[in-house]
Amino acid sequence: MTRLNTNQILALILALVALAYLAMAWQIPAFPLPRPIDSELFPKVLGLSLLGLSVALFLEKPKAQDIPDQLDPEEQAKPLWMRPWSRVVITAIAIAAYALLLVPVGFVLASTLLGVGLSAYYGYRRHGVNVAVILGVVLALYLTMTRIMDVYLPTGVLPF
Amino acid sequence: MEAFNNLMYGFGIALEPINIAYVFFGVFAGTIIGMLPGLGPISALALMIPITFAMEPSSGLILMAGVYYGAIFGGSTSSILLNAPGVAGTVATSFDGYPMAKQGMAGKALAIAAYASFIGGTISVVFLMLVAPLLSKVAVSFGPAEYFALMVLGLTAVVSLSDKSLVKGLIAAVVGVMISIMGIDLQTGTERFTFGSAHLLDGIDFLVVALGIFALAEVFYMLLRGGGGKEQPRNAIGSLKLSRGEVKQIAGPIGRSSVLGFFTGVLPGAGATIGSFLGYSMEKRLAKDGDTFGQGNIKGVAAPEAANNAACTGSFVPLLTLGVPGSGTTAVLLGALLVMGVTPGPMMLEQRPDVFWGVIASMYIGNIFLLVLNLPLIPLIARILDLPRPLLLSLILIFCMIGVYGMSFSIFDLLLLLGFGLLGLGMRLFGFPAAPLILALILGNIMEESMRRALQISGGDWMTFIDKPISLGLLVVALLSLGLPLVKKAWIMARAQRA
Repeated sequence: MTRLNTNQILALILALVALAYLAMAWQIPAFPLPRPIDSELFPKVLGLSLLGLSVALFLEKPKAQDIPDQLDPEEQAKPLWMRPWSRVVITAIAIAAYALLLVPVGFVLASTLLGVGLSAYYGYRRHGVNVAVILGVVLALYLTMTRIMDVYLPTGVLPF
Repeated sequence: MEAFNNLMYGFGIALEPINIAYVFFGVFAGTIIGMLPGLGPISALALMIPITFAMEPSSGLILMAGVYYGAIFGGSTSSILLNAPGVAGTVATSFDGYPMAKQGMAGKALAIAAYASFIGGTISVVFLMLVAPLLSKVAVSFGPAEYFALMVLGLTAVVSLSDKSLVKGLIAAVVGVMISIMGIDLQTGTERFTFGSAHLLDGIDFLVVALGIFALAEVFYMLLRGGGGKEQPRNAIGSLKLSRGEVKQIAGPIGRSSVLGFFTGVLPGAGATIGSFLGYSMEKRLAKDGDTFGQGNIKGVAAPEAANNAACTGSFVPLLTLGVPGSGTTAVLLGALLVMGVTPGPMMLEQRPDVFWGVIASMYIGNIFLLVLNLPLIPLIARILDLPRPLLLSLILIFCMIGVYGMSFSIFDLLLLLGFGLLGLGMRLFGFPAAPLILALILGNIMEESMRRALQISGGDWMTFIDKPISLGLLVVALLSLGLPLVKKAWIMARAQRA
């Protein structure tokens, strides 16, 4: 069996998305009064367009720019938690945790922890400078937003 | 005379102390953000939206315009010093700017970039001032059918002029429109693609998508490509002085490229990147010493720099007069204006002359700031490039978070931001252009509304898009623009065969 190329795999995923989208588009209820064009027409056109484009992508030969570059072997040889994809996954988890902890912990503390923690994780070893820069920027943003622009940001466990 | 009076009115607004401060801040912030490798004007503008949210629309747009051309100029600094363009529009600058830096003439290259940007920006503002009102008068007669066709053209032009696959560009555009129509349909009150979530009833805020697809995806991409601390040594700056002979040499290229850049910027889909490449290749052909281009020729820095700043100003023409952005960057500007409650378009000149003329006048001031700020301060500002990469990545993340949360106060939006960041990374890895998605996201809703209004007026007759000559013409050009990559491919193949 011939192996599918990158474009063909992407095309199959997009075709599934298009089919799911079309299924949902067909369930959009009609407006009670007759209209030349209702809410569901545009989504149907979009779904069909995406399906058609998926077919075109399936038939298109991938070029060099369509295939992700090889990762640096030196980076790949690092411990698992420091490898390139691990860095992306851990950053994504940190962002999700930040989103969930922002209100209970507060903007200043949560942002400082996120910034300092990730800088240290990415390899910055001057911890004093790290804390000073991140805390300085976070406090400047916090004071600008809350005191000058009247935007409320959660205080959390801190009293201000 | 009328244009002069209007400009004076604009200066009255732009010279208000608070607006002068905004221009200065915008140019300064744009220069710094644009300088950071990977962060272009789109990220810079998206990061600024939360700041402009509570501002007067004229002040907000004045600040954003400053950020835009500041970012384009900032990109040239990293192009010259690091050979790492922060912005696609300054890639051509690196062809001769970086060799100059390696020869110990970085200061000279930066000074040429500053002068060329200033002159390119200033010449193009004069054109903007003259062309925009004329186009506005024509656009007043546009009905929904013409607007629909114009938006189709805007989208297809952006897709066809991107250097990536046409099919992938179209897919990105369709997905952008799909995202834009999520939420309650304002014409019928019907819910579409909300998945039963109350968070999605108002649709997805474009800032979440813009920051996710551009800024956050860039952070993820840098992490994948060894963002953990590899610093690139930058070249020393050296003297900024130019001799009289050098000034004479660059005067012609700057003048020609400014005009070329402006008109390239006006075209939908073109903009700073194409403008700068056209300016560079035009001068390479015209120059007697064209064979030294790429080895540190000063004209090779002057031409793309004048062209990219002029194109930046040119791209304001379709945005301000038609309300239709011609690029991803101006799409973000349009989104910011909509957030501030201003709808650009032909009526803007009548309804919001303060915004229209205030922005134009502020561009003169902004260009002066760009020169004043960059010439003496460039050695100092360039130190930003020494900022350790891990700290930089963390700061970008924090800016993204506060940008989204400060606008919507929604944890759900922060999680969506993460989702779009990952989507942006996937798009970047697999060669999907991001600009069509963001443009389609902004245009999608308006496009659907125009289409439905046109059909409502015609009683459901689809021929309305073909019966009207302007609409037909625009649709034909849109179709032809999609054929452009095929023509380009055929031409390259024919040339290869001949060789």
